[in-house]
Amino acid sequence: MTDPIIDLQSENEKLKLENATKSDLISISAHQLRTSLSAMKWILKMFLDGDFGALNAEQLNFMKKAFESDERMIRLVNEMLSINHAEDTLESMHMEAVDVVKLLDEVVFDFTGESYKKGIQLIFLKPDHTLKSIVVDSEKMRVVFQNLIENAIKYSNKGGRVFVNVTEKADSIEISVRDTGIGIEDADKSHIFGKFFRADNAKKQDVVGSGLGLFTTARIVEKHNGKIWFESKTGEGTTFFVTIPSSQTSTK
Amino acid sequence: MNKKILIIEDDSFLQGLASTKLEKEGFMVVSASNSEEAMKVLATDIPDLMLCDLVMPGTDGFGILKMVRENPKTANTPVIVFSNLSEEKDIKHAKDLGATDYMVKSNFTLDELADRIKEILK
Repeated sequence: MTDPIIDLQSENEKLKLENATKSDLISISAHQLRTSLSAMKWILKMFLDGDFGALNAEQLNFMKKAFESDERMIRLVNEMLSINHAEDTLESMHMEAVDVVKLLDEVVFDFTGESYKKGIQLIFLKPDHTLKSIVVDSEKMRVVFQNLIENAIKYSNKGGRVFVNVTEKADSIEISVRDTGIGIEDADKSHIFGKFFRADNAKKQDVVGSGLGLFTTARIVEKHNGKIWFESKTGEGTTFFVTIPSSQTSTK
Repeated sequence: MNKKILIIEDDSFLQGLASTKLEKEGFMVVSASNSEEAMKVLATDIPDLMLCDLVMPGTDGFGILKMVRENPKTANTPVIVFSNLSEEKDIKHAKDLGATDYMVKSNFTLDELADRIKEILK
C-alpha cells in the first residue's frame, strides 16, 4: 500500500515544478515581448517627433493611435511581470516591522503623475498621530497598495477622486482605498478576486488588465493573516479595505 | 567636440535605432554587439558615456560593467544600463556594480534617453 503522505509530497513537488515552469515561461515571453514593444515605441515616437520628416494630420493621428496601443501593451506586460514576480515569491516572505504610513506615502507619491495625467485627484488622508508599525513583507505589501490605488485610478473617470486612508483598530491596521469610479456590478462581486477575472464594465473602459491584480492582492493579504473586502455601487464608486493584524510576528 | 557614446547591445535592430536617434541629437556613436567588441573599442577609445544592455551572449552586461569599473581608464565613465530586465534584484546588482543609471527600455523613448544622457554629461 502506498503512503498517502508520500503521495501528497510528491504531488506537491510536481505542482511546484509546474508552477516554476509556468512562471519562467511568463517571464521569458514577457521579456521577448518587451524587446519588440520597445522597438515599436522608439520608432513611433521618432515618427511623432518628426525625426523622419513632417507627417500630415492623418498620419500623425494614426501614429499616435499606434503609439498609445503599444503603450497599453507595455503596461500589460509590466503588470504581468510584477504580478508573476509577486506570486513567485509568495512562498518566501521577508517579514519586518514597517511604518505603514511611510509605505503608503511612497506608493501614493509614485501615482501622483498618473493620476494627474488622468485628471483624478489622489488624496492620502494621513492620520494625525503616529501609528504602531506592522510586521509585513514590505515589498509584497507595496504590491497590494499599488494594485488597489492603480485600480482606483484606472476605473475612475476624469474629475474623479481617490482617497487613501489608514486607521488603527484594536488589533489591526485598516487601510482603505476609495474611488468615485465605475463601481462593481452586483453580478461580478463574488468573482472579483478570481484569477483572470475581469468585470464587463471594466473591459468596456478600454483599459488593459490581466485579471491577476486583485487575485494576487488577495493572496498576499491572506499570507499576512489579513482580510480584504470591498463595498461598491455601480456608477458611484468602490472602496477596498485591507486589515493587517498588528500583533503578528511572522507567518509562513 | 561631439560627445562620444558607446552602445553595447546585441540586438542590431535596437542598436541601429538608438544610434540613429543619438546621432540626430548630436552625439558621436560607436557600437559593440558583445563584450569582446566592447573591450576592443575601449582599448583605444574611451567614450564619454556607455549605454549597456544586460542580456547578451557570452559575457553579459553585468560582466561588462564589472570589467569597465575595474579598468582604471573607464572606472569613472558614466554607464547607463538600458535593459528590459526590471526586477529589483537586477537593478540592485547593476547599481552595486557601479551603474550610473538603470533604465528599462520599454518604459522610455529614445528622446527621453537622449535627455538623460545630456543630463548626466552636463
